[in-house]
Amino acid sequence: MEDFYRPQPGTPMADLDTPCLVIDMDALDHNMDVIANCYDGRSTKLRGHAKNHKTPAIAHRQIRRGGTVGGVCAAKVSEAEVMVHGGISSVLITSEIVEPMKIDRLCALANQAEIMVACDQAANARDLSNAAQARGVEVGVVIELETGLRRCGVREIDAGVALAKEIDSLPGLRFRGVMSHQTIPDMPDREDRAVEANRTIKGVIDLKEAIERAGISMDIVSTGETWSYDVAADIPGVTEIQGGSYLMMETHYGYMTEFHYAGMILCTIISTPRSGVAIGDAGVRSVSTMSGLPTVSDRAGVTVESMDSDHAVFKIEPGVSLNVGDQVLLIPAQQDAMVSRWDRFIGLRNGKVEVVWDIQARGCHN
Amino acid sequence: MERPIFQPVGTPVEQLDTPALVVDLDIMDRNIQTFQGYFKDSVAKARPVVTSHLCPQIARRQLNASGTVGGIAVTTLGEAAVFANSGFSDILLANQVVTVSKIRRLCALAGQISIGVAVDHHENARQLSQIAVATGVELRVVVEVEAGMGRCGISAGIETVALAQNVSGLPGLKFEGIMGSVPGPKSGDDPSEHEAKTRENLQIVLDNAEAIRQAGVPVDVVSVGGAHCYAQALQMAGVTEVRAGRYPLMDHRLRSFLPDLAPAAWVLASVISHPVDGMAVLDAGHKATAPDQGRPVLEWVEGGTATRFSAEHGIVELEGDAQSKLNPGDKAWLVPYELGATVNQYDYIRAVKDGKLEGFWPISARGKLS
Repeated sequence: MEDFYRPQPGTPMADLDTPCLVIDMDALDHNMDVIANCYDGRSTKLRGHAKNHKTPAIAHRQIRRGGTVGGVCAAKVSEAEVMVHGGISSVLITSEIVEPMKIDRLCALANQAEIMVACDQAANARDLSNAAQARGVEVGVVIELETGLRRCGVREIDAGVALAKEIDSLPGLRFRGVMSHQTIPDMPDREDRAVEANRTIKGVIDLKEAIERAGISMDIVSTGETWSYDVAADIPGVTEIQGGSYLMMETHYGYMTEFHYAGMILCTIISTPRSGVAIGDAGVRSVSTMSGLPTVSDRAGVTVESMDSDHAVFKIEPGVSLNVGDQVLLIPAQQDAMVSRWDRFIGLRNGKVEVVWDIQARGCHN
Repeated sequence: MERPIFQPVGTPVEQLDTPALVVDLDIMDRNIQTFQGYFKDSVAKARPVVTSHLCPQIARRQLNASGTVGGIAVTTLGEAAVFANSGFSDILLANQVVTVSKIRRLCALAGQISIGVAVDHHENARQLSQIAVATGVELRVVVEVEAGMGRCGISAGIETVALAQNVSGLPGLKFEGIMGSVPGPKSGDDPSEHEAKTRENLQIVLDNAEAIRQAGVPVDVVSVGGAHCYAQALQMAGVTEVRAGRYPLMDHRLRSFLPDLAPAAWVLASVISHPVDGMAVLDAGHKATAPDQGRPVLEWVEGGTATRFSAEHGIVELEGDAQSKLNPGDKAWLVPYELGATVNQYDYIRAVKDGKLEGFWPISARGKLS
């Protein structure tokens, strides 16, 4: 792959061409350690979501630091492939895979690693079974339950039990368990989050128990995400948490102060057309504005006023100096849409480049 | 890097692995002929802004048709490098380049091809001159005047004239003229009001060009953008080039403002779940469509509307007779709202003719944001 720009380790941040995607390595390692410490000595572990970083080196780093099941989640078959090729041995694909070509690709991958996939419809389970038999592999299946996101997932416990029976009876498939996913508005208080986690995760526990009452056993109850990483792990029956945002962090989760902002866009002021206004060289193509404008890191009196495709408009308070050539770090409102726009992370420690990681699964939409 | 299943040439488009960025070549060629045809009898010509598609093969088709200045415009230095390496010899980098490291890269490119850059600051002009002289190259320079965008560009009037005079006296720089970008329409804008506003903004650029001439500095280039302002620009004497990007592929944002042109690019998605009546879930979410500036629009399903995009999923709401449509495995066609943002999420255009795959065209300048 062509690559004209790869700064050497040791390059000062001030010398980086911008815009670029940087990681504060101290913050990244800290965030990984929060996870490792949280799940230390507990049966519930993290299955980190690879859709957030798309980088095998980062997946391995969290697995080494601890607190994980030793595998990852992926959103797409091609993303799972990158993780498996990068040496990850267990992947849960958290989306339904229904097209014949993709199902076959998934089954081929099951020759190389433990592959599990979400399912919410019997016809899809039969297609998976046929393809797995044809390839002579075993594919793990978890039933997705809808719990508030109003997208994929079975809607009722009975439907989930019927689907579990079907999956359990199909050759080539191994029924592994259940999963659900949920988001909440800002909820700084841990007690409130615990109540909310119990409320939203109750459904998937109910489904688990109903399936077990029907005589079918399972080993995976996969749920939760960054907002519930700690409180969901307290719920009996939950075996793994699907967190991902905690790694790079975002202002959306700013209330979770135990995590530090790690993934940021470094940009440069290219114009100061009027007093009180400066223009940066990063726009929507650099940092998604899906969940709102990014926030300026560590520079008082400077805020992002608006963004178009390739420019940021900064508002500068009176008395604050910001000149052409100055660098500004932007914290995203939402990190995984930001990461999906870049080919590499530039890891910085003490203001210098420590590592450059290729975002190998960037663009893996398929 | 995108990892689609690379299917053989001739594969019917509905069988393509999804999500896929699909371009209908016949519609694209018609758009190019139609839009560039507007410039046939005019002094002003089009300068294709390739940031909208990032694809050298499309840029080549634009320059092969009549009606252009023979060169292209880009937004970033990384894009300029990719297009220079793809054989394009006249590039206007319609943006400011301010750091020493990047100015050096710019001057290195100027040793290979003819390259122009926008300037809105005296100190930046001095630095460009110094490094161009040290490198032994000449940079073309246009002064950018603020014409309604509220971002880069020097204030109209005496400041613009002073900067033009300064640039024209600096070694290593060739002052060519002036450029301005005028704001495009947003959804809900009234076309006639927007047209009047566009004329006012274009007049700023023309007035400043005239003021620079009166100060004794020749102005060869009066460059305005983007595609939406072509009609007004062609009616106003003095414009020499219109920088325009979206017209070959089009997007929903400009659709009602350029009604002679048709969408030629879609995100082709597959339905992965139809969990309840009235709803289908697509395999194309935010990452595959980049709906930051506006949601893509579902085509050809009456009663179906794409209403939500989370990171990995797109949600279609289905009403009336459409409630049972779009079942797992079915395809959905989405017209991007903001073309440049959507293209930037893909590595390949699936070029299609008569409903069949013609080839995978590399989006070579994707992600070259610096």
